[in-house]
Amino acid sequence: MGGRNDEGGGGKEKEEEQDGMSVHSPCKALPSSASSLSKEQSQVELELRLLEALEIYPPVKLRGIHRHFVLYGLMEYLGRSFDRQFTADEVLQLLDRFYNIEMLKSDDEDIDILNHEEDFSLPQSYFEKEEQ
Amino acid sequence: MGSSSKEETASDGDTASGGASPSNDGRLFSEGERVLAYHGPRVYGAKVQKVELRKKEWKYFVHYLGWNKNWDEWVSADRLLKHTEENLVKQKALDKKQGVEKGTKSGRSAQTKTRSSADTKAEKDDTKNNAAKGKKRKNESGNEKDNVSAEKLLKIQIPATLKKQLIDDWENITQKDKVVKLPRSPNVDDILSKYLELRTKKDGMINDSVGEILKGIRCYFDKALPVMLLYKKERRQYQEAIVDDVSPSTVYGAEHLLRLFVKFPELFSYVNMEEETWTRMQQTLLDFLKFLQKNQSNFLLSSAYESDKVSDGKGKGKDD
Repeated sequence: MGGRNDEGGGGKEKEEEQDGMSVHSPCKALPSSASSLSKEQSQVELELRLLEALEIYPPVKLRGIHRHFVLYGLMEYLGRSFDRQFTADEVLQLLDRFYNIEMLKSDDEDIDILNHEEDFSLPQSYFEKEEQ
Repeated sequence: MGSSSKEETASDGDTASGGASPSNDGRLFSEGERVLAYHGPRVYGAKVQKVELRKKEWKYFVHYLGWNKNWDEWVSADRLLKHTEENLVKQKALDKKQGVEKGTKSGRSAQTKTRSSADTKAEKDDTKNNAAKGKKRKNESGNEKDNVSAEKLLKIQIPATLKKQLIDDWENITQKDKVVKLPRSPNVDDILSKYLELRTKKDGMINDSVGEILKGIRCYFDKALPVMLLYKKERRQYQEAIVDDVSPSTVYGAEHLLRLFVKFPELFSYVNMEEETWTRMQQTLLDFLKFLQKNQSNFLLSSAYESDKVSDGKGKGKDD
């Protein structure tokens, strides 16, 4: 298990394992000396959460204008799930186990407002406020 | 927004025309027309995308400006209002009543055609009144829950002094024929990194989340500037200032960045985000706006504007 189906991902096994992330016990001990079993488990847990998160933050959105906000959403989602900060790179590496993001096609062309030029205009409410 | 099915032709007569006047011999709204549309208790800025005659009644397919396409729907004329000052006031009043304000895209200055024609006028007024009543009924039956969360999700409160700045900006460009002198210093990139620096110092650590949000703002800015952040009068200047792969965030400054925040909800409506995450992101955006506000005297100067020299068609020439 562990989604090893990506060709290009390369050294995912070598990357630093997440310290102190134990699936069952509430106490977070076991730094790098963790048994390979619990390491394995924590990886499974990590991947599971990521896949869950992708339902809200679809990978295709990582290719377009919203990329950073979607990435931010993933960082926060995982951050909350594991009670620690995730960096953008970490999330991207994790995603790399499942997806070749580069190959995805951005869906920006579905965004109508980006597809036709429109002059800027201030909402009317701004001018009404001014009078007060 | 519940019932938007596309094959509602049959049932339509019963459901939608609750308070509507029956059929019209002409259509009241045309394709591409900007309108105001009732949805739930409020009126939203919208655009008519398609018009079809169904069962002797004109139906209009509307897109609510700034809202996800999922909300697009077929409605009959009783749900729509012409985009007039008068109706905008009405919209405002409804907004107030609901206690929530939502950035509708109004204020199109060049709206000259107010009524389609004289003979539909009377009927139009009629339908409007009916529409208002019909709406109330709908409101009580309560499909507004979705609405509320959607509104909450997208709202960004721009500080008052920055709103004032946006009005001054509007005045300079559209009324006084000025443009922002380019390249602007500090530019958007400078401002963003200054904020990150400050934030890092304050938090005592590098905050990756904040960094990602700022990157997001920059990305929005670069993509949005040419398509939605320029007043018409600024287009020519853009053509001259942005050549090759120069990114707008290295050329434009706080004046235009501020406009992005007006448009932000519209762009962001395409993103799905958990409420809690959005709340945190919103805090960062607000904090960033306050930072702009604090530095208003550095970032936003009236001396940044100059009169638009090229307005008489000479174009460029200073580069050769």
